[in-house]
Amino acid sequence: MLDENDPRRFVQAIDLYIAKWQYRQMAVHTSSTDRLNRAFSALADPTRRAILTQLIAGESSVSDLARPFRLAQPTISKHLKVLEDAGLVVRRRDAQRRPRQLVSARLREIAEWIEPFRRQWEARFSNLDNYVATMSKGERGKRHGDRNNNKS
Amino acid sequence: MATETTIKAEPGTRNIVLTRIIGAPRDQVYEAWTQPEHVTRWWDPAGKPLASCVIDLRPGGAFEFVNDRPEGGESFAGVYRELRPPERIVFSSNGLIGTVVFIEDGTQTRLEVSIECKSEAERDQLLKIGVAVGTARTLDNLAGYALLDPRQLSKALGAR
Repeated sequence: MLDENDPRRFVQAIDLYIAKWQYRQMAVHTSSTDRLNRAFSALADPTRRAILTQLIAGESSVSDLARPFRLAQPTISKHLKVLEDAGLVVRRRDAQRRPRQLVSARLREIAEWIEPFRRQWEARFSNLDNYVATMSKGERGKRHGDRNNNKS
Repeated sequence: MATETTIKAEPGTRNIVLTRIIGAPRDQVYEAWTQPEHVTRWWDPAGKPLASCVIDLRPGGAFEFVNDRPEGGESFAGVYRELRPPERIVFSSNGLIGTVVFIEDGTQTRLEVSIECKSEAERDQLLKIGVAVGTARTLDNLAGYALLDPRQLSKALGAR
């Protein structure tokens, strides 16, 4: 048991909180996840993901964004609007230009939402993978016949 | 051999599917999932043996896996709905349906864990998120920036 002031205790508490929060998110979706859902919907489109990829390299004008996709500017503008509504992209005022900029914090927020869930299962599966290796050496015989005898 | 867990959701389904290759035959992997003396050794992602592990291995039987934590264990509990050794386990837990499928892959086992929502409202929410996650995994556009890997993403974002 860790001391009350041990910083590791704090980290553990945070981990537990995050785990609980995620589990609730998986089970019951509330209106608080609407924002995140909008972002996921926005990301479901390949052109919009490509636009974001472009913007990772730096801010860009609508015409610069339109060029590699061979799409009309209004089409790009429509995609940009979806990305703006999802909070993933903002427009910056710069004299006559209105270059679009990535909101990197939003993208990071999304990546961080799902990655711990995957990582939790990766850790679990990795444990299982290591464990079954020890089973095949030491405990294989138990599978044939007396599996009920190992329970105490 | 180290493999990575993939997470995806196909459009038109209500599942999130986690897939991983496990380096043992499937009857063995099935046993590792269904016998408490085995489950206790690997369930906790932190790698600690479980504080308690109860398994009533029959359809309608309950299970509870409690992680060993100083502030009291996080528990994962539910009821088995279907047990088909060594192919398939279906359980319900907290309003979700979980299905574990064991597929023979040479001397190894391809493990698929899918999480499915029960109600239509929940399913729609999950689907919305799931589709985005699934496509993000497979696509080329953001693949280089690994949307699902915050470390790589931070690196990419920090580099500009």
